[in-house]
Amino acid sequence: MTDATDTGAVAPQRYFISEADLRGLAADLLGAGTEVIAPVTVDACQSPSAMATAACLRPGVAPVDVDYKAIADAAELDLGRDLPGLSLKQLFLPDHEALCRWHQRGLEVTVEEVPITFAPRVVLAAKPCDSAALAVVDEVMNWDYEDELWNGRREATTILNLACPVIDDSCFCTAVGSAPDDVKGADGLLTPVEGGYLAEATTEKGRALIEAHAARFSAADDPATAALVRQAADERAGARRRVAANLEIDAGSVRDWIATHFEDPLLASLAIRCNGCGACSSACPTCHCFDIVDEEEGVGRGTRRRCWDTCQAPTFTLHASGHNPRDDQHVRYRQRINHKFSIYPLKFGEVLCTGCGRCTRVCHAGQDLVEILAAIDIAARRPGEAVAAGAAASEDAEAAS
Amino acid sequence: MNELRELARKLLADGEVRVIIGWESARRGARPMFVTEPDGADGLIFDTRCVHNLVTYLNPRRDHVAELGKIGLVIKGCDAKAVAGLLREAQLTRDDVVLIGVCCGGVLEENELPEAVALTPENVAPRCHGCDNREPTLVDHLLGEPQPEPPRPAVTIEERVAALDAQPLEERWAFWTEQFGKCVRCYACRQVCPLCVCERCVAEKTQPQWIESSPHARGNLSWNITRALHLAGRCVDCGECERFCPVGIPLTLVNRKLQEIVAERFDYKVSEDPENQAPIGGYRLDDEQEFIK
Repeated sequence: MTDATDTGAVAPQRYFISEADLRGLAADLLGAGTEVIAPVTVDACQSPSAMATAACLRPGVAPVDVDYKAIADAAELDLGRDLPGLSLKQLFLPDHEALCRWHQRGLEVTVEEVPITFAPRVVLAAKPCDSAALAVVDEVMNWDYEDELWNGRREATTILNLACPVIDDSCFCTAVGSAPDDVKGADGLLTPVEGGYLAEATTEKGRALIEAHAARFSAADDPATAALVRQAADERAGARRRVAANLEIDAGSVRDWIATHFEDPLLASLAIRCNGCGACSSACPTCHCFDIVDEEEGVGRGTRRRCWDTCQAPTFTLHASGHNPRDDQHVRYRQRINHKFSIYPLKFGEVLCTGCGRCTRVCHAGQDLVEILAAIDIAARRPGEAVAAGAAASEDAEAAS
Repeated sequence: MNELRELARKLLADGEVRVIIGWESARRGARPMFVTEPDGADGLIFDTRCVHNLVTYLNPRRDHVAELGKIGLVIKGCDAKAVAGLLREAQLTRDDVVLIGVCCGGVLEENELPEAVALTPENVAPRCHGCDNREPTLVDHLLGEPQPEPPRPAVTIEERVAALDAQPLEERWAFWTEQFGKCVRCYACRQVCPLCVCERCVAEKTQPQWIESSPHARGNLSWNITRALHLAGRCVDCGECERFCPVGIPLTLVNRKLQEIVAERFDYKVSEDPENQAPIGGYRLDDEQEFIK
């Protein structure tokens, strides 16, 4: 394990911080020149391109997007607890980045490094499913090769999560080992309580952040604040109960069933309506596959870049010979499920999914991971029921074979 | 709806088709449904939530759908134009598919609802305004009663295009730079498009690489402009590209603008007549050529 994940968990210490002080903390950090990233509400109607959004011109409708962005002003920090469209992934694995530049003259090639510095930065009010995803991906980024870009950014970043109220019925973090108040991959947690937030540092980095801005926090470990602590515990327990009602599976059984049922008609039938568009991979906080491309920028010079890639694209596995081992969408979708819920857990002991539900929400063809995991769980634990429930799906698959 | 279910059941039972592709009501609203057994036909629906253009499943490159066998496809009038596009471009043989047309009076912009709701100017898909094909004729069966015109949306796509056109060049450039800047190059727009049927997309060619695959400003502009131009005079305005875009790029505006240009320059309008050759696929001696000096 590398420094990226070895930040050393510490016993939680509780503090209280008011909303004004939380914004003050953001302002202090910005004032000191630290980059602050947080959920920001983008009111599409305020942009110069408002005419693009039909809804802007409708009475009573204000389309807003929530995204993680570097803020310029503490007032931008959105504490509304909505789910940002894309996850924190792009802050650590950008959708594209230059790795090196090259120049070629005749047979002589010179390679120029791209200088990269990792300036300290703080993420405020991160979603627990997004920070947990970083910890899961740390494993592969430090497996056979230590990814210095990923690790450099992980080390330079301090993350304070904001406990999640649960977004909707596509959330299922508790089914895959996370929780709406998870601190995995983060350095601390904020839980809304009356008048502000209960703050806990869970790593040395988190404690250092709070200690460096101690004036913004007050200790909350004395009897006087017992009510706040109880309130926070209730808030967190309530959210856990709500999300657990969305999906309950045994991730271990799912993992083992997939590993032993590669050719099962159920797996072969899951993607019938899938367009193979890969929007799920872009939105996924744990999908981390990338492609490395050389892009020419004139004669004899260019840049080598790494860009996001997706196993849902046929070109992902297209061999130079023209052969493609994953030559149809059923097989590509099976790979997505297999990698997340079996291959990765068997290799690294972690499910490659934190239950954020983005893949389901962005899929307008109706691929629904909640439904799919429930079906696999039934096949794994109650195979008698699977025969009845999965009959139609299996027939589809038989027709396909 | 019963009419649709009975027909689907009969087509499957008689072996006339092996699969009916229509819509069902699921946990998150209406979605595409694949019925392979006559009894499964009871799950089929058609209502204002059925926005998907299912013609995308006729793409000959979709092996996992093609393997199911002969398809019976449920289509709206707008979808019929996409079928015509595939026939026009020799991607499909008419006898290979049974087309079940449904009379349509418009669909919702937001279809993730547990039940269908009536259309209003606030909820109607803006693309339905001015629909000229509510009762498709390129079909083997036409179901339902003729429907009234969809309500006029609060703002039409034409008005949005006109508002954008009225901006100075710099503003328009800033607008599209911002919009394309959001692109993550997932290619959802291409994958869901019923007319994006190239065996190998130009975006995937690497020797030479015509379009940089990085989602930086240059790569995104190359991709989005190429996609739009390749659909000029072919796009049937189903809006699936915009609906599937995970970052919300208003691709409908580009598509509609190109339609307007094609109409003006080539006097051409996409229709459900497969014989109606698109300018991009044909050659006419009387094509405008005043730009050749």
